Amino acid sequence: MSTQTKSPGISLDYVKTIGIVNNGFNGRGFANPYDIIADDDGQIFVLNRCDPARASAIRIGICNLDDEYLGEFGRGNGSGDGQFNWAVAMALDSQGNLHITDEYNHRVTTYTTAGEYVSHWGTPGSEDGELNGPAGIAFDSADNLFVVDQHNSRVQKFSVDGTFIAKWGSSGSGDGKFNLPWGIAVDSDDNVYVADWRNDRIQKFSNDGKFIAVFGSSGQGEGQFQRPTSITVDLEGFIYVADWGNERVQVLAGDGSFQLLLKGEATLSKWADEYLASNPEEKAERDVSNLTPNLPAHLNTPYHTSSQTEPYFWGPVSLTLDNQGRLYVVETNRHRFQVYQKR
Amino acid sequence: MTTNKREKSLIVMQLSGGNDYLNTIVPYAEGKYYDSRTTVNIPQDRVIPINDQLGFNPSMGPIKALWDEGKVAVINGIGYQNPNRSHFRSMDIWHTAEPDTIGKEGWLGRAIRDIDPLGENVLTGINFGRGLPRALACPGVSVASVGDLATYGLFPDVQDEELRMFTLEAFSKMYGGAAGRDPVMDLLGQTGKDALQGADILRTAPGMYSSTVEYAPDALAQNVKSISQVFHANLGAKVLYTQHGPFDTHSGELLSHAKLWNEVAGAIGSLMEDLKEHGTEDDATILVFSEFGRRIKDNGSGSDHGSGGGAFLIGGAVNGGLYGEYPSLAEAEQIEGDLRSNNDFRSVYTNILEDWMGLDAAPIVNGQFEKFDVFKS
Amino acid sequence: MMISNDTGLMAHLLRRAGFGATRDELEKYLALGYEGAVEVLLNPSEPNNMPDDLIRRYHVEQSELRDIAGSAAYWMYRMISTSCPLEEKTALFWHGLFATGYAKLNQARSLLNQVDMFRRSGMGSFEDLLVELSQDPAMIVWLDNIENHGSAINENFGRELLELFSMGIGNYTEDDIKECSRAFTGWTLGNAEYMSIRAAKDSIWPYGRIAWHFDYREEDHDDGEKTFLGETGNFNGEDIIAIIAKQESTAQFVATRLFQFFAADEVTEYGEKAIQAMMETYFSSGYQVRDMLRTLFHSDYFKSEEARYARVKNPVEMVVGAIRMAGSYQNPALGIENVSRNMLFMGQGLLQPPTVEGWHEGSEWIDSGALVERVNFVAKELSNVKSPGVRSIIDRLEAGSDAGILDPDELADGCLDLLGPIEVSEATRSVLVEYAARLGNLDLKDHLQGDLAEQRVGNMLRLVAATREYQLA
Repeated sequence: MSTQTKSPGISLDYVKTIGIVNNGFNGRGFANPYDIIADDDGQIFVLNRCDPARASAIRIGICNLDDEYLGEFGRGNGSGDGQFNWAVAMALDSQGNLHITDEYNHRVTTYTTAGEYVSHWGTPGSEDGELNGPAGIAFDSADNLFVVDQHNSRVQKFSVDGTFIAKWGSSGSGDGKFNLPWGIAVDSDDNVYVADWRNDRIQKFSNDGKFIAVFGSSGQGEGQFQRPTSITVDLEGFIYVADWGNERVQVLAGDGSFQLLLKGEATLSKWADEYLASNPEEKAERDVSNLTPNLPAHLNTPYHTSSQTEPYFWGPVSLTLDNQGRLYVVETNRHRFQVYQKR
Repeated sequence: MTTNKREKSLIVMQLSGGNDYLNTIVPYAEGKYYDSRTTVNIPQDRVIPINDQLGFNPSMGPIKALWDEGKVAVINGIGYQNPNRSHFRSMDIWHTAEPDTIGKEGWLGRAIRDIDPLGENVLTGINFGRGLPRALACPGVSVASVGDLATYGLFPDVQDEELRMFTLEAFSKMYGGAAGRDPVMDLLGQTGKDALQGADILRTAPGMYSSTVEYAPDALAQNVKSISQVFHANLGAKVLYTQHGPFDTHSGELLSHAKLWNEVAGAIGSLMEDLKEHGTEDDATILVFSEFGRRIKDNGSGSDHGSGGGAFLIGGAVNGGLYGEYPSLAEAEQIEGDLRSNNDFRSVYTNILEDWMGLDAAPIVNGQFEKFDVFKS
Repeated sequence: MMISNDTGLMAHLLRRAGFGATRDELEKYLALGYEGAVEVLLNPSEPNNMPDDLIRRYHVEQSELRDIAGSAAYWMYRMISTSCPLEEKTALFWHGLFATGYAKLNQARSLLNQVDMFRRSGMGSFEDLLVELSQDPAMIVWLDNIENHGSAINENFGRELLELFSMGIGNYTEDDIKECSRAFTGWTLGNAEYMSIRAAKDSIWPYGRIAWHFDYREEDHDDGEKTFLGETGNFNGEDIIAIIAKQESTAQFVATRLFQFFAADEVTEYGEKAIQAMMETYFSSGYQVRDMLRTLFHSDYFKSEEARYARVKNPVEMVVGAIRMAGSYQNPALGIENVSRNMLFMGQGLLQPPTVEGWHEGSEWIDSGALVERVNFVAKELSNVKSPGVRSIIDRLEAGSDAGILDPDELADGCLDLLGPIEVSEATRSVLVEYAARLGNLDLKDHLQGDLAEQRVGNMLRLVAATREYQLA
């Protein structure tokens, strides 16, 4: 049940939750996931950032909507070929290759969706084409690649192989300026949207970087953001924002007007059911517990509420759409994603 | 006090995270095992049989070879009443031999205090790995923690050898000097001198050691190699401790559990070969344990925290064989879906302390426990 | 070496009410005067610590706070970046006194909520603090008040509340413990049964941990008449705490523990006078911890030579002090949990005290294994000439020298001064000077980052960090 005020031109129905915490080094489940992509073949790729104790197993896990865990790939942590230290985000090009940013190694690494390492590129620095903390990444319809270059406070445009084309942005809070930007998206008209993370807003640009509009301000109200991390835009132009610091998702119309928000309503995944089936005494107590409690005043913040309320989003860091109008919201702190269907 | 007689040492290998005992010593003739472990099981044809009921995990080849030589005691169904399924707490219970309240002293820390009551040898107990396991912690007992034997000691980050020597020399002078009136400054001085001395001695160990055995490159095997070097240097080390993991196989267990046991069995195999080469097989006993076993029923990908595990004692002085009854998988015998332990872990400790280390076990393990009889007399 | 009285006293205050001070910090506090500095420390304002959003962005483990290593690092970040050090120091004091450990809880977020509570209430009224503590979910699980029911009491919390958290043994009877425990029946947490089973088996499933909040179950509370320390009534927990708070033994207990943490490991006859004054303040101020600390910091004892270096630094002070001095880790850094783990290697894992009795402080921190860890960590941090704090020391040494030239005495004294000032024995000082003299006078003119001249300063700082005196606060 999404909270809908006014009469939005969109509604989203909760479908299901997939995931379980994985505290090992392989196998079913997710380890502090940071990004998610669904391809046209029904494969869902989840980028596991992994906490330091499990960093040697930084990997991309693959599953489908039928809760089947299909496998995983990655070469562990480090700066060797195919390795990551702080993996942030992924984008899929028209040839079906996955491009993954690493904000510690300052580079973009390419794998095939079959899990074969292809190459990596990127040099640390602030000159044209150099990177300092690459975060969000997205392709336009012509396979141009946009990378959010967070510590250089800019967006850079590359060809698919990493050849520099253009850049825009500088440090600040005015139009076209950024403060530690993170996520990026391209709409069906090839306009570019950037989650200007520490300015608590979304900025919209033309494909060549002309400032078009800014949406949102700091706060917990409707249409306001706290550290937005990720954006996606559907074919009708609705803008979906992972409002990370508010532990929620908001949907805006193309003009930036607030449409609706989701707080999360996760249910048990199939994998979670299987876990509880082998731990019946835990399940028995869980079944009679109130998982959406009222909290004392000093814990009444989005972060604390989500830390105590399992169905709510906690660390909703990224979202994506598939070609069926399904929205996937991935949660770092809950090791799962929730699926919603646009109606 | 030094004597020429080689003294007996205990080498402890802790499997952290809760080793899945059911997939380690596999009850492969039990239909109930395969009924409960629909996904996470060892197929009958892959088990290395011990007898017609039980068999080793297929990754334990080197241990099976030692078993055939009669050097492996498998202690079945080990644990304690009212099992605790939290890693920290259950490990704490194993470390302090105190299941009911929160214990203050480690059982091996107490053993070290009994062996060396005046703390004359700072190398009586050594942990290989950073930090100090609770088992070795005991007020007034100094235990060395060796992250890397090659650089152990003060100022390991100083690359320039001459500078390091000069700095150590200055340190030695600053911590030397006659006792003054300030007890804390005196304590610091004495401790600094002890630390220098311990490091000096330890660093000589690799140079005194040669062996044709090649240890695997994984972290455990390298720590075990350091253990062998220190053990063979005759420095009076009685308790040599290391750990490996994580055995917390909630997901993708078949793959990760096999890898871990390959490493454990490989390291044990290498060490035993090394001991044989040095003619010291009868002078060291290896204890392998974990804080708990895992659920009887799997969770579709791995197994969850359970109770009732197994332990191993391995060495030339050990009478190989199966000890203790394997816990029943029958539902009526289970304890909240887990194996019910038949044997208290302190029975094993008592056996080690009294019959291997020659100590009075009761005050160390907080009571009298019927002991196993694993050692050759 | 002459250390001005004001500077030496201020450095002493900042070692106790903080984690030591860089020269910039020291000068800032000196400008306030001693009294002004004490007031600033006692009244924390905006801590300007590393912001949560930045930490969470780069450190997923410190966003989720599921495992202990990331959670300890999270608190360490706060300690190394706060501009209100006494707030953290006081939280650390209560953490050691009301020692609640991860091992039994498997719930680091709730432990950190307890630390937040120490920040919020740790310098206020001791009575209020005990009420908050009794309602703290981590404490409720740690000392089994979750099992304390109207139908059957569990005395663990009631006993420790009297023995370890307030009056101390010998000031109450076994009956008082029972009556006290009855008053806290029904003080539990939300979803107590489910959370209890999760804690007991370390369950992180299916979706990570679920943090805890206080819940009062009236139907599980024993509302009957109770007699506690001679007073009778239908007491609830708050009433019991009100009685505890007015006891002389409680004042003695709180004053002594504060004294031992902030002034000296051992209580001498002279120190006893400061404790007496703190006890008087305890009653005159309505049990205000802040006022007791003010009394302590202004006492003759605290300002005396006897109190200087009268404490062995605890591992948190060693690690945090060195990092603050070096100015390292000012941004989220890969591998930070390995840095904070050094405290554990030295015997003090944040959020994991070994038992409810907390850590044994003082000379018990010192054994040969721990000393190696203490010396190595600090020596490495302070000899790194790339760290901003060490660079600033080099610049100050050059600025204070005659045309960039320092003779061996000046190099040794300059490093002792800028790392403290630290007062060392003549024997120690002569070793330092001799060490400096090995390569003659130091020429810092036109020094470049990482060159030999700078490295010589790093080498001297390493040795100062390795002195016996540096082990003391």
